[in-house]
Amino acid sequence: MLFFSFFKTLIDHEVTVELKNDIQIRGVLKSVDQYLNIKLEDIQVVEELKYPHLSAVKNVFIRGSVVRYVHLPSNAVDVQLLEDATRREAANQGNKAK
Amino acid sequence: MAEPGDESHVAEPLDLVRLLIDEVVCVKLRGDRELKGRLHAYDSHCNLVLGDVEELIYVVDDEDADDDQIRTVSRKSDMLFVRGDSVVLISPLAQS
Amino acid sequence: MSFFGFETSRHNATGAGFSQAHDPFAGLSNRDDEGEALEFEDTYDGLGDQLDETDDAFNDDTFGGDSGPGAGPVGKDFDFFGQTSKVADAIDEEHVIFSRQQVSKPQQPPAPEYSRGQPSYQAPYGRINEPSRPARTGYEKYSQEPVGELQVDAALWGVAPKKQPAPSPAPAPAAPTRKVLSLEEVEAQMRAQRKPAQPAAPSPAPVQQPTSQAPAAAHSAHGLPIPEHVQTQPGFYNEQPRYNEPQHPHAQGHPVTILQRPQSKPTPPGQSHAQPPAHQRQPSSGPVQPTQILRNSSRLSGDAAKIGVPSHPTPPMHPQHPVHRQQGSFSHHPHMVLHPTQVAQLSEEEKAIYLEQEAKRAKRNHKIFQMSRDNGIMTPQDKNFVTRIQLQQLVTATGNPNDHGTDESFAEDFYYQVHTQIQGGQRQHPSQPLNNFAQTYLFQTGSRQGGLRRHNRGPENHMQRMEQQVQRAVEAAKNKPKNKQLVIEGSLGKISFSNAKTPKPLLNIKRNESTGDANRPGSSHKHSQAVDGRDKKSELKSIEKIYSLLMKMEDHDRVMPPPPANDSDEEGIQRFVPWRDEAEALNKQLWTALRVHDRPAQNGLHPFIALLSYSKGKKALPRIFRHTSQEQRTTILTLIVVNLDNLDVVRNAQAGNIQLNAAMRENVELFSLSVMSTLFNFMNELELDLVAGVLGLVCTRNVDVIAKSRIGASMLTMILSRAEIIKHAGTSEQSWRSWDMAYTQFFNLLEPSLPYIFPGTVTSGEDVYVWQLLAALGIGASPEQQQRLVLAVKDRVMETVSLAKTLPQDLAAQRLQNVNLFMRSIGLDVELLQ
Repeated sequence: MLFFSFFKTLIDHEVTVELKNDIQIRGVLKSVDQYLNIKLEDIQVVEELKYPHLSAVKNVFIRGSVVRYVHLPSNAVDVQLLEDATRREAANQGNKAK
Repeated sequence: MAEPGDESHVAEPLDLVRLLIDEVVCVKLRGDRELKGRLHAYDSHCNLVLGDVEELIYVVDDEDADDDQIRTVSRKSDMLFVRGDSVVLISPLAQS
Repeated sequence: MSFFGFETSRHNATGAGFSQAHDPFAGLSNRDDEGEALEFEDTYDGLGDQLDETDDAFNDDTFGGDSGPGAGPVGKDFDFFGQTSKVADAIDEEHVIFSRQQVSKPQQPPAPEYSRGQPSYQAPYGRINEPSRPARTGYEKYSQEPVGELQVDAALWGVAPKKQPAPSPAPAPAAPTRKVLSLEEVEAQMRAQRKPAQPAAPSPAPVQQPTSQAPAAAHSAHGLPIPEHVQTQPGFYNEQPRYNEPQHPHAQGHPVTILQRPQSKPTPPGQSHAQPPAHQRQPSSGPVQPTQILRNSSRLSGDAAKIGVPSHPTPPMHPQHPVHRQQGSFSHHPHMVLHPTQVAQLSEEEKAIYLEQEAKRAKRNHKIFQMSRDNGIMTPQDKNFVTRIQLQQLVTATGNPNDHGTDESFAEDFYYQVHTQIQGGQRQHPSQPLNNFAQTYLFQTGSRQGGLRRHNRGPENHMQRMEQQVQRAVEAAKNKPKNKQLVIEGSLGKISFSNAKTPKPLLNIKRNESTGDANRPGSSHKHSQAVDGRDKKSELKSIEKIYSLLMKMEDHDRVMPPPPANDSDEEGIQRFVPWRDEAEALNKQLWTALRVHDRPAQNGLHPFIALLSYSKGKKALPRIFRHTSQEQRTTILTLIVVNLDNLDVVRNAQAGNIQLNAAMRENVELFSLSVMSTLFNFMNELELDLVAGVLGLVCTRNVDVIAKSRIGASMLTMILSRAEIIKHAGTSEQSWRSWDMAYTQFFNLLEPSLPYIFPGTVTSGEDVYVWQLLAALGIGASPEQQQRLVLAVKDRVMETVSLAKTLPQDLAAQRLQNVNLFMRSIGLDVELLQ
């Protein structure tokens, strides 16, 4: 649940989601779930002329599996805490495996 | 994973990734892409968060013949979440 | 196409038969008059003139004209089944009557009279169809249970029926819920009419529930708005069919009343007919009632349970087994086993008793029926249950306010929880009350429920209950015997099931337990060593081990019990001591992991120092200092100082070399930020003698290298300034002397390097730290030493001053200020040089 937790802290921040079909969507992260499905509001496609499909769309729900990257604002991320959380998660995974 | 340094337990491959936290890594992705950045987070799916990352996309310019002219397109990002299902390999990069 | 000399020229290609299908447009394209429009006169065939559009002879018939019953204004409120419903009952009744009377009873008042008479009977007994809403849904014929076992007509298929057809068990709770009055009244009536008649011959036909029972059952089961009206029907059905059947031949098929059974034996007319209906109604209603009651008891807190379950004699029986049901119900009515033959033999007294019991039962069943009307609809308890589950999920999702910081929640949601705590949870004011609301609601309603049903379940157990159910289902699925392979008849092979976790093994390799294992990890260990003799992997492992221990220690600190107030606080001591012991154990582990006491490899770096070369090693140091004792920290400081010239940030960042390497800069920056600040804070608590000792250590190292690096210079500045502060605060004579000695020694070692410790060029302005070092030096210097200082750096000072003149105002001021740091420390000022 590490990345779910991580994305929860990024709610209400502006992010850019890059999908596996190369479309990049910039918007405000409004919601995330355990599968890392994402809800964005007030979206703007990055290369709008190249991908006019979403010109009339304001809010989107993106299935987690189609995401390739999420570009994040670095100031919203507490790197030390994230690394610690990762270590915890890794330790927990190990314990679960045992 | 077992505690690092605990040799009695057989180490998993992901244990090696743990060693690379806060190190600069090279990540190979599907679709002829490579990322180079500082690894801040990962999980068992190989979802990653990389900081200060540069992406390299290898594009084949196929004109005229199979000359194998490979271009690269490069993009940079301050902080990047990478979904694990695209990840092919993670490797340390010696930082001079 | 002229093979065999087949001449095709004479064929009519457009004729029928040449193309696949008749192509109506076939010839059209060849017409000459392609462009011309069709003329009306040409193609009109005159049929339209023959059309009679004025008479509309049959309109009234079709659409219900003035003479018909539907003459009034047509509204929008269509009661599609309403009118038909009245007639439908009659129709069913007719069926029933017919099928029951095999022997032609030259019976009497023809069916229509009774069927028409029915609506009048309806009036005293219940609501008539309400016009506002549809009287019936149209699905009355389909009760919840199947209509009954429909048996195959053997003659049709040439197949013998498999078993004796059983009377279908369609529940008929309606009948017994009639009012007592009506029952007696009707019975009286029946008796009067039945006395002369003889019962019908035994019927070989399958005994099945009449469909009339089914609609009745449906009524009650679905809780339709016409319960009483419905209830009266079965009674009538039971009675009237007897009078109306004679006309219909027996073989009418399905709609046969249950009354066949009792009538199959010769029965005295009156009583027999009176009893069996009620009788039959009992067992058939019995099985339904308990289940309905059971459903209801959860809905109504106690009343229904009290009324319904305990007093009802009929044990719950499965409604799907008609045979058993009938038989069972018969046997379970000890006081009611009234064979129709016996009924007549009962005394009048017993009959009265029997009737009384019947009446009571009827009353009770009526009550039960009323309560069960809302069956199948969610009860408030059910809705509460679901709401609680949702709220619990909400609370878990958004972060249980009570749960903040518990170990369990940390395991799942660490980043989010700590992050919000760090950021200050005040940012979510609007939602906070909501969070608490959910939690409060759960708590309060939970305690309320818990008070009422403590023995059953607790307040927070909804989720647990659900989870348990899911678990049970999963277990059941797992325990179900599952074939490893699937073979479908007619297919050409087997389909085998495999899993990601249990893949089909392709190779079976036996591990060689002997020497292979020992060798492998060892060899890989060696291979990963870099050229400079450092084993990166083990170093990284050490760092990660340190981090794990740090996290453990931090978690442990969080659960620190309050220290015992005094020595007599037994309980406090008992709680505190184990915690402290654990903390000490962790500390020991950490100390080992730090490898401070490890011997450095030959020509290699000290292990601890090697750890510091990684950025995460540097970042860890502040945390390490928080979990180590004073002595341990002193040791670490000493170790660092001793290895000062071995640090990568020192060695690779010499002032003379132009190192534009961004990575190195970052490294230096990070070291300065994490390590230096930590050591600074630590050193601020040190006493002079220790500081003097540290300085003495520095003298044993390569002072030149140290001084030429930014880190080294900062370190020296730190030491010197700390000493000065202590001196100002006042210290013992002895410490002063020891310090003095160290200082002098150091000064002498440093002096030759002084002109060269300035980084970059005069213009670059990176030399602030150098001026700081010189200032720190100057403060503690004797006049003679100060002079030497000035001599050493004189050139640089002059250069800077002259540069400042060319620079813009603010930059110049800044530069001069830097220089002044030093100048003032020795009692001079840059202005003297202007």
